[in-house]
Amino acid sequence: MVEPSAEPKAEKKPPRNYPGALVVVEGIDGSGKSTQLHLLQRWLEVGGYRTHFTEWNSSPLVATATKRGKRRRSLTPVTFSLIHAADFADRYERQILPLLRSGHLVLADRYIYTAYARDGARGCPAPWLRNLYRFATTPDIVFYFRAPLDVAVERILSGRPRLKYYEAGADMGLSLDRVESFRIFQGMILERYDQLVESEGFVLMDGKLPVQKLQQQMREIVSMRIDLNRFATR
Amino acid sequence: MSESAKLAGAPKGPGQDAAREETPVSVSPRPVASLTLPTVRREDLDGHLIVVEGTDGSGRSTQIALLTEWLESQGFAVQTMGLRRSALIGKDIDALLARNVVTRYTLALMYATDFYDQLETRIIPALRSGMVVLADRYFYTLIVRAVVRGIDREYAHGIYELALRPDLTFFLNVRPEVTFLREFKKEPTISYWEAGRDMHLSDDLYESFIHYQTLVRKEFVHLARRHNFVTFNGEGSIRAVNADLRRRIADHLGIRSVRYQPSQALVHLWR
Repeated sequence: MVEPSAEPKAEKKPPRNYPGALVVVEGIDGSGKSTQLHLLQRWLEVGGYRTHFTEWNSSPLVATATKRGKRRRSLTPVTFSLIHAADFADRYERQILPLLRSGHLVLADRYIYTAYARDGARGCPAPWLRNLYRFATTPDIVFYFRAPLDVAVERILSGRPRLKYYEAGADMGLSLDRVESFRIFQGMILERYDQLVESEGFVLMDGKLPVQKLQQQMREIVSMRIDLNRFATR
Repeated sequence: MSESAKLAGAPKGPGQDAAREETPVSVSPRPVASLTLPTVRREDLDGHLIVVEGTDGSGRSTQIALLTEWLESQGFAVQTMGLRRSALIGKDIDALLARNVVTRYTLALMYATDFYDQLETRIIPALRSGMVVLADRYFYTLIVRAVVRGIDREYAHGIYELALRPDLTFFLNVRPEVTFLREFKKEPTISYWEAGRDMHLSDDLYESFIHYQTLVRKEFVHLARRHNFVTFNGEGSIRAVNADLRRRIADHLGIRSVRYQPSQALVHLWR
């Protein structure tokens, strides 16, 4: 067994040789990120900009295997991580990158940081995770929606009859009670996200603010940091 | 055997699965990390991991079949592994390869999932119980396939940084001109992937095969140096190569005699 090196290998990030732009939302379950990205997309579409939405864990190629593994509960931290990396790679190679190359404004609900935070919380070494996703381009903006753990957990629990096994982190043996397990697991992920804020240049969004207020901030930041005229269709 | 291995090892019918999903309480809390990578320690595993690598048609599978029989006759419990045999994702990769829609990073990561699933659910438990694991290909093949398709060497190595290092890795070195004849004898047509047709090297299938397998062999030779493989000339007779393999394995496992005569079932391989 080779101890993974403490420092990530010299990261050769792919060049941003495309006219498109990439905006990402990250945060724990219930942080409000998906709602905010949806509202951003509406605004951009109504404004007539060339946008495309993509979300985590949605590649049809890998879906069967992922479902099987989850149903049988046979995924380990490493295979859980790899199967999601394969899913991401498929979407990246066949969807995200071609869209960026053809000049789209791509909106991603979760990106590689979800893997860093969640799989890291499951015990996968950070340098190994970073290497897995090294082929992925760095986004133009990463919005990190940070909501207090209790608020986020409450939002999820109120809207869902039952937490799923891996979603609750039940594979980690944190607690026999699935809700308690979920709470602990989300807390561990939150901690990982917080550690990424500075090194990855996240834009920190206060998840306690009202939806409209947050959306207003998001739109301002997007207009400021991305030249939207490049994506105008009319 | 570990809890996770038991869960993965026995495929369950859909009815049972549904019943499990309904149970609100999960399996009892357990320190998962100690049973699985990346925290499992090689020194806690009593078994032996022996890998045979080589290009298509290098004679790996034949040698593994013979070695399995020999080792079992010597009283060793043997477990074999190969690519695309995981319960988790093996069949999905087969289907994808048949459809030829998959891109290179996706394929590399799916192969990695297949590899680690076998490693964690079958190989590590087997090694923990003291078995000899004979691997018909290991992650080295996966690194080679990724690298010849333009994936960065260090990226490909990084994927497998958490995998167990074998005790012995053999490389059966055979020229593509020779493997072509062997493969063609088995099946009188050359497969899409064996000829590396996804790389668009040539429309002439023979040329494509030779070109692709030459690239693969070159990368293997590079890995052989980097990872201290024991390289054998795989162009010799099956019998001669097998004798070489037995000698090295006997040495490693402390087996005194390397004499072996295949049973009736395998004698057809003995050429």
